[in-house]
Amino acid sequence: MEILSEFMHSYFLWRDPMIVGAVTGAICGFLGVYVVLRRIIFVSAALTQISSFGVALSFYLEGMGLAIFASLIDPFALSLILTVLAAAFYALKRDFSLISREGVIAFGFLLASAGVIILGDRIAKGAHDISTILFGSAVIVDPMDAYLIPGIAISVFIIHFIYYKDFIFVSFDPESAQLFKYPVRRLNTLLLITLALVVTVATRALGALPVFALLALPPLSSLYLTEKLKLVFVFSAIIGGLSAVLGYFFSFILSIPTGASITVCASIFFILAVIWRQIRISI
Amino acid sequence: MKNLIQLENVAIGYEKEVFVDSISLSIEYNQFWGVLGPNGSGKTTLLKTILNLISPVSGNVISNNELVFGYVPQNEKFDPIFPISVYELVSMGRYSRVKPGRKISKIDNEIVEKSMDSAGILNLKDRTFRSLSGGEKQRTLLARAISGEPDILVLDEPTASVDIKGEAQIMELVKSIQTESKLAVLMVSHFLDTVSEFSDHLILIDKDSNIFQAGTKSEVLKKESLDKFFGINLNLN
Repeated sequence: MEILSEFMHSYFLWRDPMIVGAVTGAICGFLGVYVVLRRIIFVSAALTQISSFGVALSFYLEGMGLAIFASLIDPFALSLILTVLAAAFYALKRDFSLISREGVIAFGFLLASAGVIILGDRIAKGAHDISTILFGSAVIVDPMDAYLIPGIAISVFIIHFIYYKDFIFVSFDPESAQLFKYPVRRLNTLLLITLALVVTVATRALGALPVFALLALPPLSSLYLTEKLKLVFVFSAIIGGLSAVLGYFFSFILSIPTGASITVCASIFFILAVIWRQIRISI
Repeated sequence: MKNLIQLENVAIGYEKEVFVDSISLSIEYNQFWGVLGPNGSGKTTLLKTILNLISPVSGNVISNNELVFGYVPQNEKFDPIFPISVYELVSMGRYSRVKPGRKISKIDNEIVEKSMDSAGILNLKDRTFRSLSGGEKQRTLLARAISGEPDILVLDEPTASVDIKGEAQIMELVKSIQTESKLAVLMVSHFLDTVSEFSDHLILIDKDSNIFQAGTKSEVLKKESLDKFFGINLNLN
């Protein structure tokens, strides 16, 4: 009770991070449905790492005194450029003659992960920043993020509302979409660019690990909860938002790392969804 | 009769590997074409070339830009992870007439319902596609194909995963759709008896022996050419 009271009295501390977390969780959960249905979970893992690499690279370049390129090496801009380029590459280049697509995704993930660790070791700002990028922070949120992230989330949601039928069509049956003269490549690229945009802002706000978790676990949970496609999106957004909020809450009151706390909350929802499904089948 | 699709001296294949060449044929309204060939003979490649899903290695595939295809692919190609309902799947057939960024209208919905009714699957509309039996899946895919009010219906082995009763029902349904709508049908199959019973035109294709024969049933169904095509001595009745 005392902890809860302390939490409520610290409202000014957690209000912004909680809002940012809830919105990020909801939009990641929503977009994650495409990630899971298209079986590109590891594209999202690679994108979160590439986004982290962009932020780390920016800190590194800043430390080298390249202030003249300040706008280009802004963590958000550099991270966005790299993530969008990677998303466009994965959307447009689908066939690799000798190796599987998963192999190329793994290559991107591993190279970016190694890059983050190497740059993290060299950054003058210290390991704390890199740790924040990768695992998230409960109390640090850029005041601009409180406006930027909801703004981006709303824009992405509008795009997805307009092109819902088309994104589902090119994801489920790209061959028929091509036959009906749908711009399959352009729609795939738009879908992955919205994903890259959200991954970029979400990784900066929450960290790579929780963003990957929010893209994968809420949709997986929702697929156990309902057989209706539209409800999968709704449930996934709700579970994503709740995972982030509860993750922040437990992180605050238990003094545990936020990213891990969000990931555990999303995992608990997944376990509950699996149990619920088993119970429903057995009745 | 009006030509829907014309193939002029077409070579089919992938990149520079030619499967079969010198293909010339013309598909018209109210014709029922059967495409016969063994596994890996190039049937699906021919189909995809006709549908403009892959480019011919050489030659021309001429069709009207406004031509609407109804396509029934092999049902195993759909990923069962998608909880797509029968209604949602059949609606996709209508997308041939609804541009990206547009929603399907009330009239579109009525046509979708009518197509499901014609295929006898209206009672399944809220079920997920993945939960259906092989025959129900094929009827759903047929409903999807006709919901776009196509000029040409293209079926890739529509009876591959159904039993004899299901096969008869599906073939009767395809025939009745063709008779009613006067559209052209192009159907790939392994089974000579099914194809010869329902089609009026035939294509025999085998890339391994570079065989391509197309024409009316009476032109193609000759003992010598069938013996050569199947590599056995057939007894034709």
